[in-house]
Amino acid sequence: MKIRPARIIGFLILVLFAALFTLPFLWQVSTSLKTEDQVGKAEFDLIPRAQVMDVNGSTVEVKPVERKGSMQVVEVREGPQKGTKLTVAPEKLSLRPHLEWSNFSEGFKAFPFLHMLQNTLLICVLTVCGTVLSCSLAAYGLACVPWKGREVLFWVMLATMMLPAQVTMIPLFQTFRGLGWINTILPLVVPAFCGNAFFIFMLRQFYRTIPPSLMDAARIDGAGDLRIWARVVLPLSKPALAVVAVFSFIGAWNDFLGPLLYLMDDDKYTLAIGLARLQGQYSSDWGRMMAMSVVMTLPLIVLFFLAQRTFVEGIKLGGVKG
Amino acid sequence: MKSRTWTGLAFCAPLIFGLLAFTVLPVIASFWFSLCNYPILEPPSYVGTANYVELAKDDQFWHSVRNTFMYVLGAVPLGMIVGLSLALLLNQKVPGIKVFRTLFFLPTVVPLVANSVLWVRLLNPQQGLINAFLRFLHFPAGWLPGWLSDEHWALPGLVLMSLWGAGGGAILYVAALQDVPAELFEAAELDGAGPRQRFRHITIPMISPVLLFTGVMGLIGGFQEFARAFVMTKGGPWDSTLFYCLHLFNSAFTEFRLGYASAMAWVLFAIILVATWVVMRSSMKHVQYEQ
Repeated sequence: MKIRPARIIGFLILVLFAALFTLPFLWQVSTSLKTEDQVGKAEFDLIPRAQVMDVNGSTVEVKPVERKGSMQVVEVREGPQKGTKLTVAPEKLSLRPHLEWSNFSEGFKAFPFLHMLQNTLLICVLTVCGTVLSCSLAAYGLACVPWKGREVLFWVMLATMMLPAQVTMIPLFQTFRGLGWINTILPLVVPAFCGNAFFIFMLRQFYRTIPPSLMDAARIDGAGDLRIWARVVLPLSKPALAVVAVFSFIGAWNDFLGPLLYLMDDDKYTLAIGLARLQGQYSSDWGRMMAMSVVMTLPLIVLFFLAQRTFVEGIKLGGVKG
Repeated sequence: MKSRTWTGLAFCAPLIFGLLAFTVLPVIASFWFSLCNYPILEPPSYVGTANYVELAKDDQFWHSVRNTFMYVLGAVPLGMIVGLSLALLLNQKVPGIKVFRTLFFLPTVVPLVANSVLWVRLLNPQQGLINAFLRFLHFPAGWLPGWLSDEHWALPGLVLMSLWGAGGGAILYVAALQDVPAELFEAAELDGAGPRQRFRHITIPMISPVLLFTGVMGLIGGFQEFARAFVMTKGGPWDSTLFYCLHLFNSAFTEFRLGYASAMAWVLFAIILVATWVVMRSSMKHVQYEQ
């Protein structure tokens, strides 16, 4: 392959864009590991650092407390003199790289993040189970069983996809309130067991590509529809079901409006509203807030790397056919 | 093949129940509420079109419509341009293309709330990354935007934030670009078409259905923008980021005017339908579908 200047320029622009798109991530992680006094610095610095000074010949980390005239009051953070306050001239202080893990540990203590993680995971798991089950059943009914009215049902379902959620939001809220479901996870989970138009549409397209001869063979062997669904259709549609599972998981993990409307108590909160509330409360404690946003983001990034192919398939399916 | 109605109905029973309980009946109820005065704790009372008339006179409503249109007009076309640029960069034959594709896509995986918290920080005028970058480019201090604390810069700030997610569209565009037959480019090159002409007359028409799709989806999503503004700005400063759906949410769940908010929801539906129709209609001439 001949290397032309245009090709090199193209590659350099690609690297530049990649750097721009990666920078916010690096910044997020670096801020989550910075000490309180370093977070507030105006200078651009990706490496987390802490203030240090010499105390009795050894270098120790210190935390600035207040200014007294031209002098700086600092608190020693390590060593035998830990906790003592010293008044020093600012030029005695210097910086050295330091990872402030306490943003994570303190954040977990001060804010029931593990509990919220538990709540979120419960909702996610139930949503994924409900969605995969109800959507694959309905798609089988729409694609593999010939019956009068299935076309009508299919088109009604497609029509509902046009409707913005805001239209049904208020009556649903009143209904769930009437049922006494407020402050429970039921309004978030039960609808998942009743199908999702987009996923059913996608699965139906997939099921229609399964050769009918496979199903007919099973029928001749005496299998009923439930058995055909479970033993023939489900195993063959694993990639499509993976797309449904991954995307319904992400939807539940990220959902903000649902938990905001229906979950009232702190101990019911999901990560999404917990983090949003943290942002309202401790709006100065950025290290801790970034730590929590890392905690909320990381599982999805891991999921992405585990199921990269499923992601790309899902995006394309959603794009080309949705 | 004989019709097996009961089997079909049984498999679709959860779907039929869901459509009725969570869509069809709520839609009817919502339309009825929009014609009612409905303070949350009292039963709805019919007031005719009063809610819609009041909407037309509500300054805050028009303000939220304007904000949302401005946001959509900024975020959707810019998002498509950035996405297409990324796709063209990714469509080169260079080493490590998979790594680059992953890097561009990752921001779209970040949960919206985590993303919002991050961007409040990035857009901080004194300590944020964006202004640090502008200072690095030697922007005079007086020119640095106040972003979310400045009513003129808050909306552009949110548009900038949305561009970080342009990699999602880029994945679609890359797939479309790779489906364009190489012979078309070869034939055009033989006819003496330069790179710009090939881009204008082959690439763009060939991927126009995907461009249209992402445009319409971006439009529909843009009109429903909510969590971003709720978490980052609460609609401020001075209502400059009061999006339509945030105003709707406030009307329903802080002012408890369910009838009024229902009317807003129906107007939103109408706006989305009309805007989608306009986009589809005006692009009819330009979008090429393969025969």
